[in-house]
Amino acid sequence: MDPDALSKAFVEHYYTTFDTNRAGLANLYQETSMLTFEGQKIQGSQNIVNKLTSLPFQQCKHSITTVDCQPSGPAGGMLVFVSGNLQLAGEQHALKFSQMFHLMPTPQGSFYVYNDIFRLNYA
Amino acid sequence: MEEQVEMVGRAFVEHYYHLFDTQRSSLSSLYHQSSMLTFEGQRLQGVDHICFKLNHLPFDKCHHLISTIDTQPSSSAGGIVVFVSGSLRLAGEEHPLRFSQMFHLMPTLQGSFYVQNDIFRLNYG
Repeated sequence: MDPDALSKAFVEHYYTTFDTNRAGLANLYQETSMLTFEGQKIQGSQNIVNKLTSLPFQQCKHSITTVDCQPSGPAGGMLVFVSGNLQLAGEQHALKFSQMFHLMPTPQGSFYVYNDIFRLNYA
Repeated sequence: MEEQVEMVGRAFVEHYYHLFDTQRSSLSSLYHQSSMLTFEGQRLQGVDHICFKLNHLPFDKCHHLISTIDTQPSSSAGGIVVFVSGSLRLAGEEHPLRFSQMFHLMPTLQGSFYVQNDIFRLNYG
């Protein structure tokens, strides 16, 4: 699959899962995965999913504005850089965010998130 | 180990934007032939093309002010991912532009780092 198509597919899948079945994100991370969420560092799929499922909002919707990707090196990794809006239920204004993922291939031929960094973009 | 990654990331970011703001042509020392830059969606590869692009942006004087720097070791062989957000002030412009940028740094044989991947986006709105 061409890298652009792959990263778009991944981004769509990631945010749809986040918005509709947040606990389902667990199979996109592994024990070695790292998340930095607004400066807080978390390691490992279980800890990461605990963090994401306990964020102080229930319903949310990500709308993606830009997706950029580049191959990261000979190991077949892919860097994906996303910007978009995050609308929380009940909030009038959407939050703007940027996020980067470093995806690594699995032996089964799919990808998991090795590095994940999320930041809100304040005005 | 984690602290070392963070120190390297911060030192690199400081150095990168200092060069960008005071001696833009010297950024060539930070990229290799294999380096990739995506600048506002435009893709460039190799130090020559990257530096040509950066040296020909439509402004002369600028100043980067960094708000956040996040670092993590990347899986590949001593690499580091660095995620930056900040504002970019252009000479003569009243309002600074907000931006986000990610770097994937790889170690050189001499014990420093170069930019293997670079993605830059302005944050509008």
